[in-house]
Amino acid sequence: MTLYEKIKTIYPELQDADFLNTIRLQNDSDGKGDYIAKWEHPTLPRPTEEQLSES
Amino acid sequence: MAMTLDGTSGITQMTGSIVMSGSTSGTTTIIPSAVAGTTTVTMPAATGTMMVSGNMPAFSANTVTAQSFGSSTFTKVQYNVELFDTNSNYDPTTNYRFTPTVAGYYQINANVGFTGSAIGFSMIAIYKNGSLYTYGSGIINNTTVGGLCVVSSVISCNGSTDYIEIYAWQSSGGALVLQTGTGNNTFSGAMVRNA
Repeated sequence: MTLYEKIKTIYPELQDADFLNTIRLQNDSDGKGDYIAKWEHPTLPRPTEEQLSES
Repeated sequence: MAMTLDGTSGITQMTGSIVMSGSTSGTTTIIPSAVAGTTTVTMPAATGTMMVSGNMPAFSANTVTAQSFGSSTFTKVQYNVELFDTNSNYDPTTNYRFTPTVAGYYQINANVGFTGSAIGFSMIAIYKNGSLYTYGSGIINNTTVGGLCVVSSVISCNGSTDYIEIYAWQSSGGALVLQTGTGNNTFSGAMVRNA
């Protein structure tokens, strides 16, 4: 499951626009995979590592 | 060398080249055109560094690799084939970035083409020093021709640590790969004026 899919599992209400404006998932093509580069959502808190690993 | 000096026009006739010694070492040679006719060079009424081809970096790279992009994740595009790189400032193997070693303003252009999808949309962005600099065009995904996104901007680079990369994004809900045809994915840049 990708990072995006994990976050959508935790917060299914998130829309495409959220991932352009207030949340930025990023992959630097360096073999280290996806990560959260920015989380500035006005109401939903940044998911914890525990939430991500459980989803 | 033959030369004529007068009190009004200065040097009015001269044959051969001019060799000037540098303030510390080296020389600068000015060589007139070797073709017949009259050529006039007018210096601008401004102070600055004269730019010639040797200190104006330019590069172009592309990729025909079907790189995969996860949904809703800005992913660096791996332009891994150099078409030209006049000053060895583009890295096509490790970081896929342009790090110009001459300070100035650079015209940056890029495009990516995704394979078709019926869901979401796609876009492209220029990153400077690892952070978003500007978005390019966005396109609604389609299954007919896929999505071709373009971005262009003039960016100031300090000639030492500043670097430029291209990221792309799509929201199909799953992975999409780049189209592999020639011309679908290119990244180029050139100096337009010095700092």
